[in-house]
Amino acid sequence: MNPVRAGASHKAFSLDRIAAIASNTLTELTRLKVFYVLLLFACVLIGSSVLMARLSFQQEFQVLKDISLGAMSIFTSLLAIVATARMLPQDTEDRIVYTILAKPVPRFEYLLGKLLGVLLLLAISTLIMSALFLALLYSREHAALAATNRQMAGLPQEQLHAALQSIRDSTFNPDLLPGISVIFLKACLLASLTIFISTFATSQIFTVVVTVFVYFIGHLQGTAREFWLQGHSAGWLARTFLAVVALLFPDLQLFNLADEVVAGAAIPLAIFLKTAALGAFYTVIYLLFATAIFSAKEL
Amino acid sequence: MIEAAVVVTGVTKTFPVPFKRRSVLAVRDLSLRVDAGQVYGLLGPNGSGKSTTLKIILGLVAPTRGKAEIFARDSTEVASREAVGFLPENPYFPKYLTGAETLRFYGKLCGLSSRALTKKIQELLELVGLTSAGDRRLGGYSKGMLQRIGLAQALVNEPRLVVLDEPTAGVDPVGSREIRDLILDLKKRGITVLLSSHLLDQVQEVCDRVGILANGELVSEGAVNELLAVENQTEVVFEAGSEELTRQIEALINTAGGRLIDCRKSRKTLERLFLDVTLK
Ligand SMILES: Nc1ncnc2c1ncn2[C@@H]1O[C@H](COP(=O)(O)OP(=O)(O)OP(=O)(O)O)[C@@H](O)[C@H]1O
Ligand SMILES: [Mg+2]
Repeated sequence: MNPVRAGASHKAFSLDRIAAIASNTLTELTRLKVFYVLLLFACVLIGSSVLMARLSFQQEFQVLKDISLGAMSIFTSLLAIVATARMLPQDTEDRIVYTILAKPVPRFEYLLGKLLGVLLLLAISTLIMSALFLALLYSREHAALAATNRQMAGLPQEQLHAALQSIRDSTFNPDLLPGISVIFLKACLLASLTIFISTFATSQIFTVVVTVFVYFIGHLQGTAREFWLQGHSAGWLARTFLAVVALLFPDLQLFNLADEVVAGAAIPLAIFLKTAALGAFYTVIYLLFATAIFSAKEL
Repeated sequence: MIEAAVVVTGVTKTFPVPFKRRSVLAVRDLSLRVDAGQVYGLLGPNGSGKSTTLKIILGLVAPTRGKAEIFARDSTEVASREAVGFLPENPYFPKYLTGAETLRFYGKLCGLSSRALTKKIQELLELVGLTSAGDRRLGGYSKGMLQRIGLAQALVNEPRLVVLDEPTAGVDPVGSREIRDLILDLKKRGITVLLSSHLLDQVQEVCDRVGILANGELVSEGAVNELLAVENQTEVVFEAGSEELTRQIEALINTAGGRLIDCRKSRKTLERLFLDVTLK
């Protein structure tokens, strides 16, 4: 018997435990072939955007950004769903969940650790893709600047400066980073949603199908709601109904700031913050839902 | 009075069957108590509810009725698992981790610091005889090695109670003898052990007390010595005797009013033979 440990008090919440689960989950996910396949695919798509962009003479940078951000958005969303959907069923099947929960680990921490593991994976892939994208953009910008310098060598300084400045403006605008962050946040939201669904799903396929379903509804629901509100006067019943729908099917269209980024338009800070807060809110809410169901679950 | 390590009171567990009205009764009105320092064996045929009982004790499954306690703390409290180590039946662990990394992971979950763990991991690997395999991935472990790393994992937090679900399943006789010795060693250190098995002679060797489950009910319970003693009989084993000696003994028994029931050549068990020929 060990008298020292016998009286040790249990910590209700421990970052060490969560970190251990998260890093273990990240290791597990990086062993997945599908991760590399998807990542490779996304990178190839981003790389090929350079070629496609050069075919469209005038709007080269627009096309490049459009394709790259689109690829990032689809890849991170897909990865969030696919990687998360298999986590809980896999752990249950391998009985790893028994060994983890037989330690003094609250179920909330287990889910949070798992989710953080996925979010880390998403963050890493977002970083890799952004690095590639920004490097391509940078090299194309340099090429364009050099070409302009050559072509307009004889023209007055002011005209040349203006031309160069317009190229700079259409490549690196400060809204690229908020745009990319929002793509990442959307993926976080989807990962959290997937964990929630997988706590009551009977199979991995079910989880993926339902999440993809929610994904599409989420993209359409903003339009549907506007249409609905136009036709009806919104009583409290209708409002409650809409609130529930909004909770279950987040308006994913709000996370499509990329279009504005591509167009070079500025994302107002207020809009960015609002979208970020919304993403964080849904991520937390779904995690809480997941905990509520998982805590009562028979393992 | 001796402290109770585990107390189960009136536990019933039914599992709903999906899409059907009826449900499966896994455990029925089960009560048992394991004293601190004891080795307790849960026996029973397949599907008799052994694993379910252990999971209820560990708070992995919620009982339909009744309650379970570990060291006077309700099993539904996370803190009750502070002093417990568990080895599930046929455990799998993350394949991509090495033996040492596995122990480190589970140690972290118990709130152990990295420094304390480095020492602890070496100790544990040595204890279960995996020192040389500690830096190999579990994907390449044999079944017996997995079972042993599982055992090491259960001991990482120096538990006061160790729960083992079929600890010797799939382990060869040498390995299961080692596991048996390990259990006896735990007992010597004052650690309570609760195990389930259907290998009866092994249970007989290590357990102080057994409970026998059938169809989810506890049908027999008690100290091994008492349960197995045959009233009014005594066995005598001697060496280098002759047939003449045997006859004399029989005559002696008869004159004293006793009755000789059986007289045969001693045989070694198959296990003994196996150990003798494989351990050379
Ligand atoms: N999650 C579950 N859902 C439905 N039924 C279950 C579940 N877990 C166990 N059961 C049922 O409960 C009964 C007892 O199962 P349990 O696993 O406890 O038996 P056991 O004694 O451990 O058997 P074994 O020796 O084969 O390991 C069985 O009839 C089983 O089908
Ligand atoms: Mg069992």
